Amino acid sequence: MTERLLSIGGLGMALSGGDTLRRAFMIEGMEVFLCQKPTPRDFEVRLDSAVGLPQFRQLYDFDFVDGLYRCRFGVDGEGVYYYDFGNAGWLRYDLREPDVVEISPVADLSVLRFVLWTAYAMAGLRRGAVPIHSSVVVCDGRAVMCLGESGTGKSTHTRLWCEHVEGSSLLNDDSPILRFGEDGIRVYGSPWSGKTPCFCTESYPVAGLLRLEQRPANSIRRLGVVEAFTALQPSCPPSMAREERLLDVLVAFISKIIEHVPVYRMGCLPDAGAARLSHDTIIG
Amino acid sequence: MKIHEKMKVREVAGENIVLMQGPRGTDMSRVVALNSTALLLYQRLLGRDFEMDDAVRVLLDEYEVDEPAARKDVENWVAEMKKNGLIIE
Repeated sequence: MTERLLSIGGLGMALSGGDTLRRAFMIEGMEVFLCQKPTPRDFEVRLDSAVGLPQFRQLYDFDFVDGLYRCRFGVDGEGVYYYDFGNAGWLRYDLREPDVVEISPVADLSVLRFVLWTAYAMAGLRRGAVPIHSSVVVCDGRAVMCLGESGTGKSTHTRLWCEHVEGSSLLNDDSPILRFGEDGIRVYGSPWSGKTPCFCTESYPVAGLLRLEQRPANSIRRLGVVEAFTALQPSCPPSMAREERLLDVLVAFISKIIEHVPVYRMGCLPDAGAARLSHDTIIG
Repeated sequence: MKIHEKMKVREVAGENIVLMQGPRGTDMSRVVALNSTALLLYQRLLGRDFEMDDAVRVLLDEYEVDEPAARKDVENWVAEMKKNGLIIE
């Protein structure tokens, strides 16, 4: 068994295993996150684990890898979490051993990429690091996270910033890590960047969260607590809202975020004016 | 009537909110913020069977308000809670 240490979202993620570990580094972008210097390990992901998949009470199921696979999420009688990725593998997470995630052998790289994302989400949550479905642009050393349902135009909006707002660059186009840590609230690049390969290990303070909707004209407004909560929560890993203990930790995390970071809602066109409006409002 | 035992109030950035999970298979959830009156009624009435009069008594004991106003507030609160499945008979 070998071990490799990754640094993602400011956390040291130790991967151990055999064939599945080798496959993990065939995933595009994963190698970028290998630790370059000695880093404390915060949690362990044991790949090729011999742990079995018992019966469990299903709480949630969903399609992944563009609908090729169906995943079931739930808990067993002792409150241990399981993700059953169909015939493609499974994941086990026990809150009594919160810094360990166990994963069966996984042969398919697309599945493995998603499984590793899930492992990070489970172990990172209680450490204040959560993958957020968003496209993130950085300008003047500060980040703006664009949220919204798939297809709403998050990637378009960040691309418009890069084209029309000087000094802008893309940090991540699908699932950056938002973290509440010792140095405040920062967003990190991650190996999970969707269709736009953008594998960036940097992090930036978050200037604002921006939930987008397609509208016939550009307008933006700052949100109060309840609306900010409902703007951010759907962009968090969905299984976290389906189980009480995870939800408690997630709500505490969201609370910290919205106490310190402004959240906006924007109706917009896919044009330069939209990027300038959100930039001027959030960055200034 | 009684408050649904699954109802949970969580503090978020200074507000007291209730999360109601959407139907199975959707990611939708509703979020409601409780004002101080709603929070008080929740805290005092959770865990027991109560009638409208009990709820009115809670408000009369706590606030300088007359009975008709308190009753109106309670009626609104009960209606809203029932609509969200948070009060059951």
